[in-house]
Amino acid sequence: MHKTSFAGVASTFLLCFIFWILLTWSADAQELITGAMISLAVALFSSRFFIHENPTWFLNPVKLLNGIAFWLFIFPVELVKANVDVAKRCFTGCKNVNPGIVKVPVNLKSMYGQAALANAITLTPGTITMEITEEDGRTYYYIHWIDAKLPGGEEAGEAIKGRLERGLRRVWE
Amino acid sequence: MLILRIAIDVLIAIGAIFALAGTLGVMRMPDTFCRMQASTCVTTLGVIGVGLGALLYAIFIMGSAATAVKVLVICGLVLVTNPVGAHAIAKGAYQAGIRPEKRMETEDYRRDFDE
Repeated sequence: MHKTSFAGVASTFLLCFIFWILLTWSADAQELITGAMISLAVALFSSRFFIHENPTWFLNPVKLLNGIAFWLFIFPVELVKANVDVAKRCFTGCKNVNPGIVKVPVNLKSMYGQAALANAITLTPGTITMEITEEDGRTYYYIHWIDAKLPGGEEAGEAIKGRLERGLRRVWE
Repeated sequence: MLILRIAIDVLIAIGAIFALAGTLGVMRMPDTFCRMQASTCVTTLGVIGVGLGALLYAIFIMGSAATAVKVLVICGLVLVTNPVGAHAIAKGAYQAGIRPEKRMETEDYRRDFDE
């Protein structure tokens, strides 16, 4: 957790306000003022929980293109594959699940990268990130895996998140 | 127009099928954590399929920009907030004393967090 700073409040306010405008979709002064007040209150209370790193990575066109490629092409492919796999397990009954919580190392340094990877892993059916810890300077994720073929470590990490991590490393490293 | 209708129906049907699979999984899976895994099916391809179908419908048949933007915002918000809730529920369930039902082969979490 961080201290409440002006930059943090301002960026959280901006994000909330943009979402308010998109959801109401009207330029009425009354709506805008209400939205601004609510966004300010939310920003004051919640900005200290968010990541405080330089958010201008997307001004670099190469990183931006890599990010778009990740969220539009790499991630949906993984998502559909995992979805079909889990849907099959759901339909065919539950004898073919082999759950386990594995600990895998992660090679991303940036907080944004780590958060995006944890969320991408959780969104992929079959894997849920439960906790992030740091040991001896390395970051580890605890991942609940519905088909724990491997006992954890590098190989399990490659099987769970190899492509996702390589895609994200091109954006945030 | 016919092709558009077919595309919309197919997208919504795909979303419904994955939502059905996820719901079945929630009822049939053996323990809390596996049930959560099955429920991710509903929130990813279920929502994306129905959302894309609704988006095409809003743009080409209703012709309403406000509805299209709302559908996009709904999809985006579900996809962004679902993992945050899933982390919190999984960790909270574990700390509240719920343990996976089967004897697990890999128990790193128990080793590190249960003294």
